[in-house]
Amino acid sequence: MVTGNEGGSLPVFAQRLLPPFAGLPLGPLLTQSLRSLARRRPGLFERLGEHGTARYLIDPTDLPFAFCVVPDGTASRVRVTGKGGAEPCDVVIRGPILMLLGILDGTLDGDALFFHRTISVSGRTEAVVALRNAIEDAELRPSDLLGLRGTLARFADAGILGGLSAVRHLAAGAPAREDGRA
Amino acid sequence: MSGSLELVCPAGTPATLRAAVQAGADAVYCGFRDETNARNFPGLNFSPREMAEGIRFAHGQGARVLVAINTFARAGDTDPWRRAADTAAECGADAVIAADIAVLDHMACQHPRTRLHLSVQAAAATPEAIGFYAKAFGVRRVVLPRVLSVQEIAALNRAIDVETEAFVFGGLCVMIEGRCSLSSYAAGRSPNLNGVCSPPEMVGYDEDAGGTAARLAGFTIDRYEPGEPVGYPTLCKGRFKAGDKAGYLFEDPVSLNAGSMIVALKAAGVTALKIEGRQRGKGYVTEVVRAFRRAVDAVERGHDPAEIDGMLAALSEGGRQTAGAYRKIWR
Repeated sequence: MVTGNEGGSLPVFAQRLLPPFAGLPLGPLLTQSLRSLARRRPGLFERLGEHGTARYLIDPTDLPFAFCVVPDGTASRVRVTGKGGAEPCDVVIRGPILMLLGILDGTLDGDALFFHRTISVSGRTEAVVALRNAIEDAELRPSDLLGLRGTLARFADAGILGGLSAVRHLAAGAPAREDGRA
Repeated sequence: MSGSLELVCPAGTPATLRAAVQAGADAVYCGFRDETNARNFPGLNFSPREMAEGIRFAHGQGARVLVAINTFARAGDTDPWRRAADTAAECGADAVIAADIAVLDHMACQHPRTRLHLSVQAAAATPEAIGFYAKAFGVRRVVLPRVLSVQEIAALNRAIDVETEAFVFGGLCVMIEGRCSLSSYAAGRSPNLNGVCSPPEMVGYDEDAGGTAARLAGFTIDRYEPGEPVGYPTLCKGRFKAGDKAGYLFEDPVSLNAGSMIVALKAAGVTALKIEGRQRGKGYVTEVVRAFRRAVDAVERGHDPAEIDGMLAALSEGGRQTAGAYRKIWR
């Protein structure tokens, strides 16, 4: 039986299009992106305080890989890691990638997703709370992470946010697994 | 009271302050990023620079900023509270919300031109108590504890000559405000002294086959079935077993929605309506402030309570709500 995908996971066909693990140089790209953001907007990272050196494992449940992030300002690091590895971390945040991206760009309410179990969190709760509040205040746009400005930034934001919204819409009505379970 | 009702809204971050103002808040309340404010959570609140910028933004949009310095200063280490009070005044705060008489006295003596509002943490609910704060420190407004009925508020307003501000929406603490030490028993820290109830560093969610246990400092505060929505573990809203019976020992996890009471609160002489939730995100704050802006404007145009209630019905989030003590009924 095929049912709607209430958890918002990526549709099966989209998951199949992704590389198995670290097929892209995502880690170095995201590291540079975070460090560049820290140079432009240091206040965003100051809000994290002592939790800036915590290791956050961001685990998209519908992707074949996860991200280990240390959001330490201009010394930030992102590493792409496989599933089920023994990556030491202070916090684990798990959920469908579209939900995690929605929290990042402010489209979705992280509290509601957590309390309704769409995402799960374990580890140091105070570090999660600090990250949630920092992201909440950041009002990040895709162009902030890409380091774009002006007209190019407006095009990138409109294109990426519009695309994400369309995929989210598609995901809400598509099966996430072959047995139809989200 | 003949003036328009003032809508006072929460802001835990600069982004939320801007969102609240743009959604129609008449005033925003917020605090510094330290133990001087009763919402001292990681990543929340304002640096002095952010506070100054936030106040400039609000003033530019015709809104006011009320700075909460509403914890109780620690004996032998009062500098953080003194510094917060001085910074708030320098930033151009429209008022400081305080409960501690040391903070009130410092403001009254050093910054007499800054309005003083008495925090709900002072739990002042009698003409005598409020009169003392007004006479001793020139307090201009009192935030009422959430234990009074509308009739009691009307009687109180007739007996005092300072403004009153009443909570109308959000989380509901029904303990004697300013004197709740429940969190301290488990975590060693309390809202009144450290600005934090159930500090997040002592909160954990443990999952097993039977579901999820929400814990505070190792104590299980509630258990949830797999897939059941979870809550933040505060002792007052915990579910405990006494004898063979499990239930909410102190209070049910309901939140306040006094939207249907706005007309009555205005008639009772209340000056300002307060929305709780400095820990809530800007999406939530925007939605609630917009709805209450429409409701307050409708009240000013003479719409009836049933219409106002309908305007706010969508805010329940599926949770249980109550009009609290404002509507005391025989049970």
